[in-house]
Amino acid sequence: MTPNGAILFGVLLIAATGLARDLTSLAIVLAVLLAFALASRRNLTSALLWSLGIVAPLAAFMALVWIGIVGRAPHEIAAGVEGSRAAATAYVALVCARLFLIAFAIQALFLRFSDWTSLAFVRALTAPALAKKALVLTLSLIETILHAIDRARTALIVAGLITRRFSAQNLRNGWVLVQTVWLTVIAIAIGRTRDKWPAEGTLARLDHALAATAPRFAHVDALWSGAALICLIIVLGLR
Amino acid sequence: MFTTPRLVAIALCAALNFAIGNVVYLVKLPIYLDSIGTILCALLIFPDRLAAICCAFMAGVIGIILTGLLLNPFLPWFVFTVLAIVLVSALLTGRATDTFRARPLEPLRFFGKVILYGVITGIASAIVSAPVVVYLFGGVTGSGSAFVVAFFLKAGQQLLNSALLAGLTTEPVDKTLQVLLAALLYRATPREFISMLRLPQPSPT
Amino acid sequence: MGELISGPNFSGRSAALAVRLNALAPGNAFFIGPYAEAALSGLSNTVSDEIAVYRSPASARAFAPLDFAALAARKPPTLSGGEQVLLALHCFATSDFTVIGIDTALEQLDPGNREDALGFLAGNDIAAVLVDNRLEQLPGWSVCEQQGTSAFACDLAAATRSLVPVNAPTIAIENLSFRYAAGPEIFQDASLALTPGRAYRLSGPNGAGKTTLFKLLAGVLAPRTGRITLDGAPYAPWRTGNRIFAFATQNPDHQWCGATLGEDLARRRRALERHPEIAVPDETALTALATHLGAGSVDQHLYELPLTARKRLSWLWPLSGALPWIMLDEPTIGQDAMTRTALAEAIAHLTACGHGVLFITHDDAFAATIAHGTLQLANAEITASH
Repeated sequence: MTPNGAILFGVLLIAATGLARDLTSLAIVLAVLLAFALASRRNLTSALLWSLGIVAPLAAFMALVWIGIVGRAPHEIAAGVEGSRAAATAYVALVCARLFLIAFAIQALFLRFSDWTSLAFVRALTAPALAKKALVLTLSLIETILHAIDRARTALIVAGLITRRFSAQNLRNGWVLVQTVWLTVIAIAIGRTRDKWPAEGTLARLDHALAATAPRFAHVDALWSGAALICLIIVLGLR
Repeated sequence: MFTTPRLVAIALCAALNFAIGNVVYLVKLPIYLDSIGTILCALLIFPDRLAAICCAFMAGVIGIILTGLLLNPFLPWFVFTVLAIVLVSALLTGRATDTFRARPLEPLRFFGKVILYGVITGIASAIVSAPVVVYLFGGVTGSGSAFVVAFFLKAGQQLLNSALLAGLTTEPVDKTLQVLLAALLYRATPREFISMLRLPQPSPT
Repeated sequence: MGELISGPNFSGRSAALAVRLNALAPGNAFFIGPYAEAALSGLSNTVSDEIAVYRSPASARAFAPLDFAALAARKPPTLSGGEQVLLALHCFATSDFTVIGIDTALEQLDPGNREDALGFLAGNDIAAVLVDNRLEQLPGWSVCEQQGTSAFACDLAAATRSLVPVNAPTIAIENLSFRYAAGPEIFQDASLALTPGRAYRLSGPNGAGKTTLFKLLAGVLAPRTGRITLDGAPYAPWRTGNRIFAFATQNPDHQWCGATLGEDLARRRRALERHPEIAVPDETALTALATHLGAGSVDQHLYELPLTARKRLSWLWPLSGALPWIMLDEPTIGQDAMTRTALAEAIAHLTACGHGVLFITHDDAFAATIAHGTLQLANAEITASH
């Protein structure tokens, strides 16, 4: 599957998820998604658990608010009727199922390309050269910043400004950590922009490295995108 | 418009949006700051307003896409919120850049402008976010504002109104904090980097 | 044919290097700047991607001192400084660049890799332009001498003149064990005694745990087992905070706590004021020390100073005498011969005043000018020799 095909599949499926009005429609989306996840032969369990972990706290809050406190569904509030906790439960179930499917879809797609390098993934994307370049730069800078965070944390712990664990000191000096990280990364960015890149013409080399060499779409993309499109049509039909 | 230094600024600010959640986690702060890079990008490129809008929007969108892929899959839905923050930052907050960099710091003017523009950013963010929060999360996003929403719902308010009112009570506080941090980072940024982001002026001849 | 640009610090060598590269191959010269982050392209998330950015199928050169295939999935910032420089040299070797400029980056390499790198750069099809503080000349290389200036003049003798004798504690490490999550043992039941008034050099291959030991002593990391004592009393900086060690990092930008020097020092002083037993250096003394180290004003934005000047200012807190033990990680990188000599004398002065000093350096010549004991880190153990 190509990244372009994966994005198309993902967009269609997430659109279907967003437009689904009942649990039956969401079940159809789930079926297509599970088929895709199983066919990709990646670690399904981790994707499911991650998605559940993201949605569970939100589900708990929603249940507390809608079922526990409000006790009726939004359409019942809009109609001015007394309503019921059962309707509130159905509403919460629908919203949580939708959230879960979105999270799972993104995880399944992400796992599909987990053994690709960032450069290879961005190279295969059909996108303006500027956007591809910005994406590559951002991904690289994320690593730089995460590393800078670790180094800044070391510096501030050694200087006695923050502690390893939660403390009032950390609340007072959390800003210093942010500032230190920013300045470290800015210094790196200045060095590259002023010295290394002009000397080498590095960004021009990146253009070359990002030039797509493989076809934009593969046959398997049509299969899965077709399945997602059919799913979307069914969901629209069920509305 | 998209010079190499501006491309770097976009990437840096997008990466900052993504990574700052890790900082919050490391110092165990009970908040999440996801638009500091977006606001900062607009400040860095101001007074070129059009470039500030385009670059800050790119930074914000890249940030939410990457965060959506790797950390929080619901963030990409808030792309119009990003646009709202960008417009306020580039057209309004950017006017305070001289105050933000003034040395020595003028506390009254500095914090006054931070609060003013933070509140405006928060209001804009709340208005644009409310429909997304209602449809995607049923009005409840898992933060303390959920109970504010519950209060308004219990009082008979419609869902959209409740989410909007809850957002208007919490977003200005959150966004004021983010404008404050962006202003402080802008203040700390070396002059050399800000100069790089300006387009070279044509000679008078 | 190689070119060596020599001269003292702030004589314009970096600018001369840039001019020379532009003359030889405008926009088409490989560049490795000082410090690890300036060695890499900044465009890749993995070692394999970094190589892919530069690779040219037509290149027949080879320079692979590390097993880059085994490191393919590693993130470049997680490599050590020396490893990043070696990666950069490998990228150059497999590219179609014929011109390379290196600004002091080879000083981060251990002696063996440094020799190999210089040998590779002397190859016939490479035009190399080099700035290196530890080289006066190279066989077959032309030398361009830059003249010194008085900019950022540094007087380390004056900087250490105001040091007063201290009673630094003896440090004992007993049965220390540590490893990073899912990683190999860095230390296993390691024991060590450090006597104040002495300097110790930490030696060992990359990954042996030199910087890890610094972090354990300063409380950034917590050991799995074992204990540290100061004059026999338990000391757990990972719980109580660091009040013993002043640390100057290899890259000076990894230790600042502020945008200006004044901001950095003010924050450090406020942090120390929480410990009533420590005599906090006053602002006037620190400002004077900053002047001796070449800072025109403490309100100067740190990142608007040249990197070499920032490196010197990174010694300020250790040289202030605020804390009894000092840790210096590769202190001589980017420093000319005169400054290295002065730094060795400053370290001797610190130990004479009773401070303890731990230092890491690849510069054997510099280490030889300091009376020191050696702490050899290898196989998860620490072996002391005098």
